[in-house]
Amino acid sequence: MSSRTAIPRNRATTEGDVTGQAAQPTSKVTAPQRLRQRRGVNREGLEAGRRSTRTILWILLAAAMVLYGFPFLYLLFTSFKTPIDTIAVPPTILPTEWTLENYANALGRSGVLASFINSVQTAIISTLLSLVLAIPAAYGITRYKTPSGRVFIMAALVTRMVPPVAIGIPLASMMSSVGLADTPIALSIAHTTISLPLSIWLMSSFFEAVPRDLEEAATVDGCSRLGALWRVVIPVVSGGIAVTAIFAFLASWNEFLFALLMTAIRSQTTPVVIANFQTQFGLDWGSMTALAAVYSIPVILLTLLLQRKIVAGMTLGAVKG
Amino acid sequence: MRISDRRFALYLMTPAALFLAIFVAYPLFRLIADSFFKISPIAGGPRDFVGLQNYVTAFASEAFMGAGWRTLAYTLVVVTLEFALGLGMALLFTALGRSSQVWRTVFLYPLMIAPIVAGLLWKFLMIDNFGLIGTLLHQAGILSNPNQIGWLSDPNIVLFSVAIPDIWLTTSFMCLVLFAGLQNIPGDLIEAARLDGARAPALLFRIILPLLRPVIAVALVVRGIDAARAFDTILIQTNGGPQSASETMSLLIYRTMIRFGDPGLASAMGTIYLLAMLAVAFFAVATIWRPGKDN
Repeated sequence: MSSRTAIPRNRATTEGDVTGQAAQPTSKVTAPQRLRQRRGVNREGLEAGRRSTRTILWILLAAAMVLYGFPFLYLLFTSFKTPIDTIAVPPTILPTEWTLENYANALGRSGVLASFINSVQTAIISTLLSLVLAIPAAYGITRYKTPSGRVFIMAALVTRMVPPVAIGIPLASMMSSVGLADTPIALSIAHTTISLPLSIWLMSSFFEAVPRDLEEAATVDGCSRLGALWRVVIPVVSGGIAVTAIFAFLASWNEFLFALLMTAIRSQTTPVVIANFQTQFGLDWGSMTALAAVYSIPVILLTLLLQRKIVAGMTLGAVKG
Repeated sequence: MRISDRRFALYLMTPAALFLAIFVAYPLFRLIADSFFKISPIAGGPRDFVGLQNYVTAFASEAFMGAGWRTLAYTLVVVTLEFALGLGMALLFTALGRSSQVWRTVFLYPLMIAPIVAGLLWKFLMIDNFGLIGTLLHQAGILSNPNQIGWLSDPNIVLFSVAIPDIWLTTSFMCLVLFAGLQNIPGDLIEAARLDGARAPALLFRIILPLLRPVIAVALVVRGIDAARAFDTILIQTNGGPQSASETMSLLIYRTMIRFGDPGLASAMGTIYLLAMLAVAFFAVATIWRPGKDN
């Protein structure tokens, strides 16, 4: 950004700067070729070239990463502290004595393990429900482009604006009138009201990218339209389905307000249990941080493993929109 | 018998549409209907039609108007800071290019953390007496006393403090979306501007930001809607206190419904809140997004 050198650079020189070696500019490359190369690598226009600039930028990045990563590291360190250490004045960053006491306390508390099972159950049911409803709907919207489809996708967008607090109570009384009060099914239905619009939106972008010829060939070969969707299109968008599934899962896994309004004891999920630590048992920071770490780490690892796909999913809708 | 494509598309959409009608539209209808009644919180209690009385009560109540302004202020603070930080990070990652890829991934991690956990974590960092932030600022010589700033206990700044976890959680989203947008800016355009002698600020305000406009609009609208509905992080940090200084609309509605046991009034508040959100969102979409016009 801050480098204003007017000399056209190609990838080779830029990388030479990073490794500290003076890379030879490839002089044999002709001007049009170089232009094409540069078009292929959009990043290049904004990529900083000068070594001093890059050093400053790396220092800035390091500072930002430390500031950004520190809060969660502090949560982890705190979870290994002794109870007295946790609320010591002044606080220390690292534990003076490392212990697993908080983990034993948090996981040993009644209802905590059950809440984990509830969280997993609710998130899985909600993810499946979202996918089963969103895949055909998104396909219908993108492939046939009917007026009803356009109305529907706008309506789905509007549902995103509905504050959960506004529909939580009516939803809870609906569930209890059909005998589903305080069950993972009721909660997962509520979570699906959040993830379904998002899933339809995401799946629509993925279906948009599938060439139409693919199903046309299949239908010519005697496949029904549903058959073509199931046997030809679904396998092609399986990566997109995985991304959508992750988002639906995370939306349910981390949700708190519906869980608070719609569950009592039987189907309570872990976020509600974490929040209850502070009222029911006084301020038990140690156990609270331990439970929060146990609840967060699996999804952080999962997402880091699948990050490429997730980044694609997150940016698809927004950038294309 | 082969049904028409149009009908086939309709059949495909029907299950999802029914689901949203039953579990979103119908509860909304119930909410709006309830807003015209005085309802006893006890199950099976009396339910009297009171017309617009609940709306009159809502608009006359200081708590409701206060919560409305606080929600607006909170949303503006969150979205502005997130946008500034997210754009800064996106430009930094872009300037460093390919070699920063690992760090881009690491930067995503707060997105996976539950808001309730983030709220708890920041409460622990900012809490009076044993909060780390006050202590570190004191040790750095910025504060004369670790408790000089009552992050969560001073009514004048608490609305800003409760916004921090929200900003921390979703700056990554802003950064990710803006970064993707930056990758679509043709490198030649930037080079050409540089050849013409454009300096960094001109490059940013004259070329990059105008080109990113559609992306920025989507990101701001999406995040604005989310921030205006914030509940988890505020509830766990302050429960709306001290003296209601951090009580936003979601919290007020929740408390009116659950703690004060007035579902009718809460429904009226919820209805007004929803209408206001829709109006602001449509206005935002119409003015800054303008789908179609930028292409």
